[in-house]
Amino acid sequence: METIGADIIIQILREEGVDVIFGYPGANTLPIHDRLINSEVRHYLMRHEQAAAHAADGYARATGKVGVCIATSGPGATNLVTGIATAFMDSTPMVALTAQVSTSLLGQDAFQETDIIGITLPITKHSYQVHDVNNLAATLRQAFELAKTGRPGPVLVDLPRDILSSKCPAAEEKAAPALKANYKTEEDREQLEMIAKTLNQSERPILIIGGGVKLSNAFLLVRELIEKAKIPFVTTMMGIGSVDSINGYNLGLIGTHGNELANSMVHQCDFILAIGTRFSDRSTALIEEFAPLAKIAQIDIDPTSIGKSIKINLPYVGDIRDALTALLPLIDAKEKSEWLQRIQSERDAITGKVADTGCGLAGDFIRMVQEAMPVETTVTADVGLNQIWTVRTWQARSPRSLITSGGMGTMGFSLPAAIGAKIGTPERAVVAITGDGGFYMNIQELATISYYNLPIKIVVINNGHLGMIRQIQDLFYNARFNTIELGSKVDFVAVARGFGIPGSRIAVDKDPQAGIEAMVKADGPYLLEAVVDPENYVYPIIPPGCSNIEMMYDRLD
Amino acid sequence: MLKKAREQEQTISILVNNQPGVLSRVGGVFGRHGYNIKSLCVAETTNRDVSRITLTSESDPDFTEKIKKQLDKLVDVIEVSDVSGQSYIQRELMLIGLTVKEGAYSDILRAIELFGCRIVTMTPDYFILELTGQPDETAAFLKFFQSFGVEEINRTGSIAIERTKPQRRI
Ligand SMILES: Cc1ncc(C[n+]2csc(CCOP(=O)(O)OP(=O)(O)O)c2C)c(N)n1
Ligand SMILES: [Mg+2]
Repeated sequence: METIGADIIIQILREEGVDVIFGYPGANTLPIHDRLINSEVRHYLMRHEQAAAHAADGYARATGKVGVCIATSGPGATNLVTGIATAFMDSTPMVALTAQVSTSLLGQDAFQETDIIGITLPITKHSYQVHDVNNLAATLRQAFELAKTGRPGPVLVDLPRDILSSKCPAAEEKAAPALKANYKTEEDREQLEMIAKTLNQSERPILIIGGGVKLSNAFLLVRELIEKAKIPFVTTMMGIGSVDSINGYNLGLIGTHGNELANSMVHQCDFILAIGTRFSDRSTALIEEFAPLAKIAQIDIDPTSIGKSIKINLPYVGDIRDALTALLPLIDAKEKSEWLQRIQSERDAITGKVADTGCGLAGDFIRMVQEAMPVETTVTADVGLNQIWTVRTWQARSPRSLITSGGMGTMGFSLPAAIGAKIGTPERAVVAITGDGGFYMNIQELATISYYNLPIKIVVINNGHLGMIRQIQDLFYNARFNTIELGSKVDFVAVARGFGIPGSRIAVDKDPQAGIEAMVKADGPYLLEAVVDPENYVYPIIPPGCSNIEMMYDRLD
Repeated sequence: MLKKAREQEQTISILVNNQPGVLSRVGGVFGRHGYNIKSLCVAETTNRDVSRITLTSESDPDFTEKIKKQLDKLVDVIEVSDVSGQSYIQRELMLIGLTVKEGAYSDILRAIELFGCRIVTMTPDYFILELTGQPDETAAFLKFFQSFGVEEINRTGSIAIERTKPQRRI
C-alpha cells in the first residue's frame, strides 16, 4: 500500500507511544479508520463522541499520558466539545483529532462541514487545521508536545479528508520542532529563599495542594515537604489524592463544598503555600474574606494562574518539581507545633458536631463500597451531591486514584471516564459513581462497557432527583421545588440487563452490604443501584456569596 | 458590556506567526476579558512568516495580568511589547471629509498649514484632508476641525516602530 496522510497519523501516534484511542467514525475519518486495521493502535468505539473525549480524558488522568480521541467532521466534531472543555478546565493532556471536509470544499457549507477550530478556540490550548500533507507529521508532533508540556491541555488537530488520503512519503524520524518557550522557568532563587524564609518563620502555616501537583508528578516532593516542615495541608478538589488522604496532616477539602476543618484552619492560618492551584471561586468562596490573616506564596507553571483572583505576596512561576527540589533544602525541619495541637483540638470538636463527613447515609454507603473494594481501586465521581459525597468520603490512597470533573462540573463524565481509566490501568479495579441525573447523560456507554466486557463497577446513587439542585432550592429558594424530579419509574437494573450487564438494587438505609458484595464478586461489569433519600444532602454547605467559614449545618441555620 | 468603561488606553505591539486564524485568537483574548479594542493594524514584517499587530485597547491596572500574560500564552504569539513609552515612534494616518462653509475658507487654509496636513482632493464646498502624526496630534487635529463640520472620518489607528536599531532579528 502506498503511504497516505492517514499512515502518517498512525506513525506519529506510535512514535508518541499511543496504543489506545477513543472515537467514532464517519465518512471523513475513514482513511484513518482503514489504516488502523493493521496498526498497533487499538481504537475503542464509544457510543457517543462526547464519551470518546471523556474516555480519553479519564485515560490521561489515570495514566499521566496524553489521551487521544477522534471524531468525524460536523456533528462528530461538535459532540466532542463538552469533553474538550472538561479537559481544558482541568488541564488534561489531550489530543483531539477531527476529520474535516476536503480543502477544496472548505468554506462552502459542504455536507458536515463545521468550523470546529472556531468553536473550540476558547477551550483548547491550541488548534491546527492541516492544509498540506507534508506538514502533517510536524503538526501532530507539535500537538503532542503542546498537550503535555507547560500547563497541559487539549490540542485539536482538524484533518481535511483529502489530506488524509493524499499520497506522501513516510514521515522522517525527527525530534519535535522546538516550540516557543512559553514559560520562563529560569529559577528565581531569591524568591524561593523568601518563600522558605517566610514558611520557616510562620507560626500557623498551611499548604494548599491543587491539581498541578498531579500534572507535574510532584507527589513525593510534596510529601517530603509536609513531613519536613510538619505543615498541615488542605487540597482543592483536583488535588485530592496527591498525598495519601489518610496522612495525618490532611485537613481535607477546601471551598464551598469542603470540610469544615479545612476551611476553618485556612481562615486562621498566617501563611499559605499554594502549589498548582488557581484559587478558583469554588476553593475560596467569598474572595474578600479568604484567609484574612495569611501571607500567600504561590507556585504554578502558568503565569496567568498567579494572582488571577487573589493578591499573592510571593509568586513563583515554574515547574512544581523544579521549584520544590530547590525549595526543600531551604526548609527548616520542624518539631510538632502549637498550631498542630490547635488543629487537633478543632478536629476533635468538629468530629462531634456534624456526623463525621456530613454526607449522611450516602456517605456511609460510599465508605462501605471503598472498604469492599481492593486498595488499588480507581474511583470516578460524577457531578452533583454524589460527587461531593465521594470526594468527602473516599480516601484516595494514591495520586491518580480519584478522577472527577472539577473545573467544568460536567454531568455524565464519570461513566466514560471510568472506561478510559480501566483501559489505561487494567491492573486496577475501577468504580464509577454517578447520580441518576448524570447517569442518563451518558447512559449509552453501558453498551461500550458491555461490548468490550470491561469489568467496571457502576454505582448509580438514585435519589430520583437532581439532588444538588434540590438542596439549593430547598435552602436558598424557600423550598420552591421545580424541574428537579427525575422520578422512580426507571428500573436501572433492568436497563443494565438490557445492555447485557448484571446488577442489583439496594437501599442505603436497609442492608447495602449484600449488594456491595455481589458487585465486588462479579467478574465483569456490574451495576449497583443504591436508593437514597432525596433529602440526604451535604452539610455543612457554604451559601452563595458567603465566606469559607459561614457554614450552614441544616436548613434552619 | 461587562464592567464600567475603562478610562485608560494602552498601545501594544504583538509579533505573531503570519497564519490564518491568528487574529481571531488574539482578538478572542480581549473579547473574553471584556476589553474593547480601539484600533488595530496588522501587517507583514521584514520576515514574511511574521506579522506585527499594533493595537490600542482599553486598559486598566489589571491589563498586564488579564491581557498581556494571556497573549503570551498563545502559541502563535512571538512577542508582546508595550509601545506607549519613549523608545517607540508612533504614528497614525487620518482622513477627514470636511464641509467648507461660506466665510470659513481662510481659517481652514491657515489651519491646514499649521497642522501640516494635506488636501487630498477638493471641491468648492468639500475638502478631504490627510494627516499623519502622533496619536495626540491626530486627536488635536480632529478636535479642531470638528468645529468646521466633519462629515466623514477614517483613521488607521497607531502603528509603531522601535526608535533604535532592534537587537534581535526575527
Ligand atoms: C451537563 C450538566 N448540566 C447541568 C448541570 C447542573 N447540575 C449540577 S449538579 C446537578 C444535579 C445532578 O443530579 P444527579 O446526577 O442525579 O446527582 P445528585 O446531585 O442527585 O447526586 C445539575 C443539574 C451540570 N453540572 N452539568
Ligand atoms: Mg440524583
